[in-house]
Amino acid sequence: MKGAELKREDLDGLLKGLLEKGVVDCLIVPHRAGKSVAYMLVKDADKIESSASALFAPSFSVNAANLVKGWTIKEKVGIVAKPCEIRAAVELIKLKQLDNESVLLITTDCSGAYTNQVYREHYAEIGDQVDSAKITELEGKGITIREACAICENRLADVGDIIIARGAGEDLVVAGLTEKGEGALTALELSLEDKDLERAAEKEKIAVEAKAKLASLPELNSLDALEEFLQDCIVCKNCRDVCPVCYCKECFFDQPLGDPVGGDLLNLAELRGAIGLPTGQLFYHLTRVYHVSTTCVACGACEDACPKDIPLTRFYPVITQKVQEIFKYEPGKDVDEPLPFTAYEEEELEECLR
Amino acid sequence: MGEEAKEEFEPKIVGFTCNWCTYAAADLAGTSRKKYPPNSRIIRLMCSARLDPMFVLKALLNGADGVFFSGCHPGECHYIKGNFYARRRIAAIRTILKQFGLDDRFKSYWISASEGEKFANTMKSLTEEVKELGPNPLGGKIL
Repeated sequence: MKGAELKREDLDGLLKGLLEKGVVDCLIVPHRAGKSVAYMLVKDADKIESSASALFAPSFSVNAANLVKGWTIKEKVGIVAKPCEIRAAVELIKLKQLDNESVLLITTDCSGAYTNQVYREHYAEIGDQVDSAKITELEGKGITIREACAICENRLADVGDIIIARGAGEDLVVAGLTEKGEGALTALELSLEDKDLERAAEKEKIAVEAKAKLASLPELNSLDALEEFLQDCIVCKNCRDVCPVCYCKECFFDQPLGDPVGGDLLNLAELRGAIGLPTGQLFYHLTRVYHVSTTCVACGACEDACPKDIPLTRFYPVITQKVQEIFKYEPGKDVDEPLPFTAYEEEELEECLR
Repeated sequence: MGEEAKEEFEPKIVGFTCNWCTYAAADLAGTSRKKYPPNSRIIRLMCSARLDPMFVLKALLNGADGVFFSGCHPGECHYIKGNFYARRRIAAIRTILKQFGLDDRFKSYWISASEGEKFANTMKSLTEEVKELGPNPLGGKIL
């Protein structure tokens, strides 16, 4: 891949350049608001400032892909976000909820993130960015990263059109992964040279740690365990609303069959003798886990959004990963790879059918 | 559950079959006077690709003791490739059911229109298997 070295203080210039040179018409980019970091949609390049303190901030509020879900406008939008968010955007392109021609996906390295509440509360200790040593140190003080981040193996930027990677020391490397990305960097008049950002050893280290963390979590491996896990669910469907890859215009669970009221509930109660209220936790979550089974990017937004603090990261990413394994599919990796449910091999999967 | 009670247990099985192959096979089994247990309730789909995995979930959650799906053999779909897509979806939902130990109650078969005997035999073995499993624990739960 072709890329260039970049000083942290030049990040503002890079992003401003994208707008000023007309590479993109608008940018969705994290900005610093006091102790917090939030996304903003920028048209005016002058509004971009102190990106260096926001871009790598270990804070997760929403999945940026969810913000652009269903945008099929012609204006080109640049999205600067963490790997899981860009992966979700790639899945949305495949799901035809986003137009590949009108987005420029820019991925930043991530070390794992805190929920935005924890980040704001402990900004003094956490600071503008963290590394694995700092995360361990903070863990000792009881400040822990999100569970979804702790089990994430894909923290290094390796998807999208452009990546902004942390190089040695304080310097950054910006590189184009696709033709579109390289074109954008060329338009910014950066002198590009060949860069090796494979970082296999670092990835391996992250994967080992993530796998160990996952193995230490309690496994939901029986019906009773699942029932207990979902007992507190109030079927508010927040997890669906914040999920970047849950995209149906009209959700089954907003329709009478999926969201029964009044007489329909009475009929159900008559059929079964008694039903729980609100009803259908199992049906809702099992259906949803099937619906996102190939596209879940394991960002953990569902868990953050749960008002009842159900650790949904132990459910959605863990189970969807098993489905993704049988199709050897990695969501968000390659925009040209077909979604598993839209493709087939003539001879396959018979061992999964019995 | 005691041995006696188990013998009395007659499972309810919901089956989803494709119009062109397995439904015709069931017809053939009937017209050929093959005997098979009456535990299955068959729902006819125009193609195996019509099987939304939600059907399977809903049947199991509503207490069906077994659910089966059957369509044309891969490569012989009336609509050329419907069962290829179905196969992927079934593999996915099976993986999910397996996580919670429900996959034993969901079976899938390929039975063509000429295989009336296979259909009857499959129904026999399926009913036996589900009897062995006992009633679906989800049936009596307050969900």
